[in-house]
Amino acid sequence: MRNISILVAILALAIAVPPFLGIAWQNALVNVLIASLFALAFNLLIGQAGLLSFGHAAYFGIGAFAALHLMIAIEDGLAFPTPLVPLAGAAAGLLVGIVAGYFATMRSGVYFALVTLAIAELFHSLAPHLQGLFGGESGVSSMRMPWQGIIFGSLIEVYYLTLGWVLTCGLALWAYTRTPFGRLTLALRDNEQRVQFLGYNAHAAKVIVFAVSAMASGVAGALLAISNETANYSLFATDVSAQVVLQTFVGGSTVFFGPVFGAAAFTLFAFLVSDLTRSWVFYQGLIFVLVMLYAPTGIGGVIAYHARHRRQLDWSRLAGPYALALVGGLLVAAGVVYLTETVAVLFGEGYAVRMRDAGGSLPRYDLFGVSWDPAGILTWLLPLILIGAGGAVLVRARRSIAGFWNRMGRTEALAAATPEPAGGTA
Amino acid sequence: MKHIAMMTFTAAGALVAAAPAVHAEPLKIGIIESLSGSQTSTGRLYATAVEYGVDQINKAGGFNGEPVQVTEYDNAGGAPEAADKFRQAVADGVDIIFQGASSAIAGQLTEDVRKHNIRNTGKEVMFINLGGEAMELTGDKCQFYHFRFTTTAPMRVNALVSAMKESGDLGTKVYSINQNYSWGQDMQAAVKASAEKGGYEVIDEVLHDVNKIQDFAPFVARIKAAAPNTVFTGNWSNDLLLLMKATGDAGLDVTFATAFLDQPGNIANAGKTALGHYIANNYDNAAAKTDAFPEAYKQATGHYPIFVEGHSAFALAQLQQALGTLDFKGGEISVTQIALALENTTYETPVGPVSVRKEDHQTIRPVVVSKVAENAKYPADNTDMGFETVKIVPAEEAIYPVQESCQMERPEQ
Repeated sequence: MRNISILVAILALAIAVPPFLGIAWQNALVNVLIASLFALAFNLLIGQAGLLSFGHAAYFGIGAFAALHLMIAIEDGLAFPTPLVPLAGAAAGLLVGIVAGYFATMRSGVYFALVTLAIAELFHSLAPHLQGLFGGESGVSSMRMPWQGIIFGSLIEVYYLTLGWVLTCGLALWAYTRTPFGRLTLALRDNEQRVQFLGYNAHAAKVIVFAVSAMASGVAGALLAISNETANYSLFATDVSAQVVLQTFVGGSTVFFGPVFGAAAFTLFAFLVSDLTRSWVFYQGLIFVLVMLYAPTGIGGVIAYHARHRRQLDWSRLAGPYALALVGGLLVAAGVVYLTETVAVLFGEGYAVRMRDAGGSLPRYDLFGVSWDPAGILTWLLPLILIGAGGAVLVRARRSIAGFWNRMGRTEALAAATPEPAGGTA
Repeated sequence: MKHIAMMTFTAAGALVAAAPAVHAEPLKIGIIESLSGSQTSTGRLYATAVEYGVDQINKAGGFNGEPVQVTEYDNAGGAPEAADKFRQAVADGVDIIFQGASSAIAGQLTEDVRKHNIRNTGKEVMFINLGGEAMELTGDKCQFYHFRFTTTAPMRVNALVSAMKESGDLGTKVYSINQNYSWGQDMQAAVKASAEKGGYEVIDEVLHDVNKIQDFAPFVARIKAAAPNTVFTGNWSNDLLLLMKATGDAGLDVTFATAFLDQPGNIANAGKTALGHYIANNYDNAAAKTDAFPEAYKQATGHYPIFVEGHSAFALAQLQQALGTLDFKGGEISVTQIALALENTTYETPVGPVSVRKEDHQTIRPVVVSKVAENAKYPADNTDMGFETVKIVPAEEAIYPVQESCQMERPEQ
């Protein structure tokens, strides 16, 4: 009941707020939704079936191109409702997913990952040569056609269309994991041999779950095509495949809706930070490493863990250490950001010019609205103090938080550290 | 007397322009460039040149009574990200977009601009393409709000053929080896098309994978067997470097006719193998009539203009010239008017005049053909080698006919 009311509240916000946002934010939210669906589809494989795919860009891209070709046909007069265009992505994703999945799922583990990688690479190197299908280097392009008085010219219309599809597909995927067959995929992850001995065809089951995942990825790709109205072969690139892996693991692959957190975090991070600093990719990588080291179950895992223990939690005693940890984290982050940006300035082109103009000496530079002296003690002492103090605070906070959880029961903490059935806690 | 009258007039004009308008709308320029990822080094050069050009406009008083604003957007080298940043730029009120480091991204942006302008009449956005050389950008995809301020494959090949024939380095047997995507295919077609005019025979053509080949020895063996005088290649980055090195290792004596030999790092990496090879590009410092531009650029940015920086800075200078013919009196800026003014502008670069062809918005521009030589005036990559100008092929000689596939819709006036 509580879960449903939270979901309804989120849904109400997602429907009511965007019209009041600028188009930049609307666009960012469309991207969050698309990335979320893609990550959910991807997580069906890794979280449910324990299959790590390194080539999901293939099905995402295929979905985008299928949708674009359908949109071109609509432009040429085909009577097909524009809001249903993602069906083309679903169909193409499913079809390619069945074929690719048949081969990829013959093996599991590393071999499976390598086959999926190869399949995506196949598309990536083949696509530029198939001019008719993928439009060569400049890609395929189309326009959203009006349907039933909806013009689909403004971004907000695209947002609602995307929201509708992502919600439908997300819930459908969740429902799928609750079916007996969805449960069977869990068993496949845990012990494939046992499933075979029970009389099931393990390979066929893996092909089906692979195809379902590819189908949902195709829908996500189609939504991107509808939003961008173009696609080119760069959609098949490894970084698209890698991005969804990062997002899913940061979000938490052990919880069904965990990847949504990762997708939202990465997309919004790119939206907010990528034009502020050139080092944004570095920060993004740093966040990934930290999450993997200190919260291997991801953001979703941490939230789910707290939600599960919400009745035993004594927030009056926990809030203090958590606030302390937050302060420590912010201090360390400030120190790291300061150092990174300082290095970026001092080794940048602009500073080289000013250094030459100043005759080889080190001129002062502006950062965060303050003027700094590169040779000054404070300039270098400040980040060290920030990181040192923040680190000390973090260690302290961590000790008291660990003590708290230990008192709650060591066994439970251990249980949470190991993967458990996804979907059960969402 | 006439001069004094002119000066007074200009001074008065300058005063009017300088008078602060209360709600003057600044002209906003957006650079949507590959500022992270594998193409960062090239993207950075485009951004530096555009910012240099904007600084020049602002030093001369800006536009519409305000300094021109410039914002960098990082497209991370991907077309979907570029589409995203385009929307961000539109949200920020950007009027003119600059981009150069990839034809794929240029293809995405020109489509985005076209659709935006259809849906938002009166709030048009214009796209100045500094480096997307794919023919279809001024062919199938040509549109009024896209301007290409760089060469294309036929222009580079025409210029190479003309200059090499004159200097006697071309020979009669030509080999063509290119990357298998639109640019390489365009190059291959251009090499074939110039055969009759250049008096040579294309003895073999090869298209290979893009930036995936580590060992060019098999290709070099094929070239050796064909025994050409000149090898034409549009290859860039590793594909050019490894090809040249493999040729050098095999002791093959051929002249390379290239398009991207001036990419930073190429000369240093290739070493002496690079000597004697040709390149056709938009601009080279050694070809400039005076040292004024390279010195001014170095003064502002700390280095002489390299690779794509020269012609990108000229594109901004041409825009500046076009803006000089317009006056919105501090009011709303009409991008369509700017585009029309740009169509009618001819800018005198240090290597010759550049103008816009109205039918497809390809610029008609001179092409510089150079050869790698020792003790160059402007050494490349901190070596003693650099580019020596062989010929500046004039604009009218380098240009090719408008592609039939271009059907440009002009704005109603």
